[in-house]
Amino acid sequence: MIAPRNTRAIVGQPTPLIDGIEKVMGTAKYTADLPAADALVGRILRSPVSHARIRAIKTEAARALPGVRAVITGADCAATYGVLPIAMNEYPLARDTVRYRGEPLAAVAAMDAETADAALKLIRCEFDTLPAYYTADAARAPDAVALHADKPGNIERAVHHRFGDVEAGFAQADLVREHVYTCAEVAHAQMERNAALVEYDPARDHLTIWSTTQVPYYVHLMLARCLEMEASRIRVVKPFVGGGFGARVETLNFEIIAALLARAAGGKVFLSLSREETFLTHRGRPETKIHIKLGMTRDGRLTACAAEVVQRGGAYAGYGIITILYAGALLQGLYDLPAIAYDGVRVYANLPPCGAMRGHGSVDVRFAFESLLDGMARELGLDPFAVRRANLLAAPTETLNGLRIESYGLGECLDWVERASLWRDRRGRLGPGRGLGMACSHYVSGAAKPIHWTGEPHAVVHLRLDFDGGVTLLTGAADIGQGSSTVMAQAAAETLGIHLDRVRVVAADSMLTPKDNGSYSSRVTFMVGNATIDAARALRAHLVAAAAERLGVVETEIEHENETFFAAGGDGPALSFAAVAQAALAREGGAITTKGSFTCPVEFQGGKHKGGAVGATMGFSYAAQVVEVAVDHETGLVAVEKVWVAQDCGFAINPLAVEGQIQGAVWMGMGQAIGEETRYEQGLAVHGSFLDYRVPTIIESPPIALHIVESLDPNGPFGAKEASEGALAGFLPALTNAIADALGLEIDTLPVTPDRILEALAQRQRAERLAKIREEVA
Amino acid sequence: MEILPRFDVLRPASLAAAIEARRRCAASRFIAGGTDLMVNLRHGLGAPETLIDLRHIAELRLLSKENGGITIGAAVTLAELAANPAIGCDYPAIAAAARAVGAPAHREAATLGGNLCLDTRCLFYNRSAWWREANGFCLKHQGETCHVAPTGKRCHAAYSGDLAPALLVYDATIEIAGRAGTRRIPLADLYAEDGAAHLRLAPDEVLVRIHLPAAPWPAAYAKARARGAIDFPQAGVAVALRAEAGWITGLRVAFTGTNARPFLLAGVAALENTRIDAAWRDRLTKLVQKQVSPMRTTLLAAQYRRRVASALAQRLAAALAGMGAENHGSV
Repeated sequence: MIAPRNTRAIVGQPTPLIDGIEKVMGTAKYTADLPAADALVGRILRSPVSHARIRAIKTEAARALPGVRAVITGADCAATYGVLPIAMNEYPLARDTVRYRGEPLAAVAAMDAETADAALKLIRCEFDTLPAYYTADAARAPDAVALHADKPGNIERAVHHRFGDVEAGFAQADLVREHVYTCAEVAHAQMERNAALVEYDPARDHLTIWSTTQVPYYVHLMLARCLEMEASRIRVVKPFVGGGFGARVETLNFEIIAALLARAAGGKVFLSLSREETFLTHRGRPETKIHIKLGMTRDGRLTACAAEVVQRGGAYAGYGIITILYAGALLQGLYDLPAIAYDGVRVYANLPPCGAMRGHGSVDVRFAFESLLDGMARELGLDPFAVRRANLLAAPTETLNGLRIESYGLGECLDWVERASLWRDRRGRLGPGRGLGMACSHYVSGAAKPIHWTGEPHAVVHLRLDFDGGVTLLTGAADIGQGSSTVMAQAAAETLGIHLDRVRVVAADSMLTPKDNGSYSSRVTFMVGNATIDAARALRAHLVAAAAERLGVVETEIEHENETFFAAGGDGPALSFAAVAQAALAREGGAITTKGSFTCPVEFQGGKHKGGAVGATMGFSYAAQVVEVAVDHETGLVAVEKVWVAQDCGFAINPLAVEGQIQGAVWMGMGQAIGEETRYEQGLAVHGSFLDYRVPTIIESPPIALHIVESLDPNGPFGAKEASEGALAGFLPALTNAIADALGLEIDTLPVTPDRILEALAQRQRAERLAKIREEVA
Repeated sequence: MEILPRFDVLRPASLAAAIEARRRCAASRFIAGGTDLMVNLRHGLGAPETLIDLRHIAELRLLSKENGGITIGAAVTLAELAANPAIGCDYPAIAAAARAVGAPAHREAATLGGNLCLDTRCLFYNRSAWWREANGFCLKHQGETCHVAPTGKRCHAAYSGDLAPALLVYDATIEIAGRAGTRRIPLADLYAEDGAAHLRLAPDEVLVRIHLPAAPWPAAYAKARARGAIDFPQAGVAVALRAEAGWITGLRVAFTGTNARPFLLAGVAALENTRIDAAWRDRLTKLVQKQVSPMRTTLLAAQYRRRVASALAQRLAAALAGMGAENHGSV
């Protein structure tokens, strides 16, 4: 049973991030700010070739250079790594074969950067080059050499899913349309460059790493594997992290390389990557081609969907299998779709490996779906909102592919953005070159089935109370700027009836904090939040027992609020938190530690079909948005004038942070839609700087009017669901739908850079001229 | 991280000392704001032993009105130019061009001289040392091939300073000092159409100041780019246009970002002594399309840069004609 928000003292209140002061004051210590004056400087030698057998890597001269303390190559690590136990096919330093330009070949640790650079120049590599493939089509060609021997045809994974009677669905439709959409590969462009500081203690064989990660636990696992060290000898600490967006949701090569260097040098190594190297480490959203077909009745009801998706995944597996499964699974869960056919192919190519990125797997497919949906609505003379409303789900429900939906606020989201944008009054009346477009999207609140199935809970939190009356919250969850530590502190304080500043959060230090799977798939608020409530309830039970004893009443009569405990009725004596804490400590025999945990019940873990766990979650967030654009037909510039977005996040534990997250999602979607794309010249990344990888500046950033819908999910902590990914995907089609409204131009390729807009306009002009000539001839 | 090479920094207080320092040390470079040079040095594009900082030479920092015109020292920053009331009032295209460079922090450091002497830019040149080596280097630096036009023998790197076209349409002249003394030339003569050697400056020569003549024509600057800040021009256009009652009596058009040098559009006399109409626009477009030659030096399509260069020229001309004698700055 979820209480209405007005009974809450702490959750639901806009709360500045508890670690915000350090960030604003500039005193927060990110990895590169940690004391490293005594550390050796690590540097990586990267492959100049796209695909080759490595004949030799000669390091003798580098080793002989004074000041060089360690030189390592692929020969120093025979273990593969990777985030998926079924697809670990990457070495921290290439062995035998190198598969993309920029892949690490060797690394050095030296007394200073100049020496390290000089040492890199002394390393000689000899290659026997192999054919290289930079497109999914080239990699899938019949005669293409396989990047990985166990993956013929360079197919990392092919998925073929059928739900419902697709043929019958299309037969019932009044309108069937299909189209091919293409989305460029994009990168996270997180502000903080990749960096790791590693201290190895040779006397004890202990290793400590501080790294720019979202997943300290996965880093821990891969370091133990690649260094063949017992996990207990490794400590992983996550300092302040300057953004993740999925770039850091798996162990990255530089982390393992830094650890290998530190051990080889027998000391401390600081490895800081340049912006270009950070782009080369990549793990972004793959270039994706979507051939989508929809069936629709005259009144806008969807009858069937068929989608063929090809993702160019780069040279290694990473999260690839998950991404191609998400792309199909998350076709569902947003609308009521009676029949679906999904054929997805994840392809290897000689490019930096792709990975997970905000809206993982769902974004490009959603762009295609919502674009075609809008085009068909136009053809049938239906309003875009009406078409969405004709296909709403009714919670609780289960989709054809076994996704459970317990709360569903999409209808309210639609109502708000329609009203706030004055859609009905303004659409079609904005003048030449201006338009309004809309679209919807959704995302999971944590993957219901963890990657590493160990039988442990999905999340564990410890709370500790001691003589000082402070409540220490210990969590492995990585706050990467999204505000998870604040949410946990709020959840604990709310449950315990204490002030927020009584809670101290210790996060993401494997020596102190319980294991957490990490900050990805928007799992933390939902899972760790529930675990926090569980731990706080356990601590509260101790306090209530002590208070009951002191007040001479039974425990069920104890009430508490605002750091005061009293017997029900409220007329009797009250005890302060300090007094109750003291009593509880005396009663329990000293410091109290409680544990809370959370596990997704098995019935939420997805359909029985192969890959059915991907997409399954306990709660979906929902978002609708309207985008207003002005297009300059002479310069091709698309200006996003304003965005109206509403998101159902279940319940906003911290509305201030939720607003920031939703704005961030919209803004990131805008970046992908209007300008961001990776570009390669024969496999060499030419986007390796913020000049060439064009994230929007503040000038491109529109005002974002925002509304939070609270559907109060029955399983979410205080009813909360995901808040940071759901609104991203909708921006892309809302923008192109707005361009269609403005220019009558249906854009099927992202990003909509000014050269593409002018080219599309020129093409239309040519086609019109041609049609006119044909008409005249006829 | 890409580290800076080791170098000494000299801070001469006089022009003569700067020129003498440059003569003494062959492996030296002049530096002012450093917003472009420092990035290039981190990329291993050059390894000077000595940097000669020109920002402490008082005469290079002067901005003064004289004989109705304006003289601007080469070390005046772009932020100063953008904020200067005399520039903003009489030479609005210069203020607009200065405002269009980089971001505020760049403009605080960057200087007019640095912008005029900006190195040319290319997809294959402004890259890390690792990248360029992996790509076999290029004609402009350490290599044999121009990757933009592999069959050719010329470097196509594009000049991408914003200020030059604005100064060109105001008919600016520049003063250059060297060991042999000073010379004054039209700004246009500073440049050559060769991406690897686009500046006609002897090694020990310094750009000292820029002279703008009095009674400037109304002019404006427009910059095509994907983002409203940070980006270099994909094509930058300045137009100066004198009109009387809609009748064009004088026209100058200049471009940046499209060629290895900034240049004044040739043949504009044929567009004078007439009115702006559809035919005039077509003639201007043809003239522009014939003379701009964007190549694949940036990530936006070369064809786009060609299209947008003529579109912006037309747009500026129309706006200036419509405004009559009013100065407009940018469109």
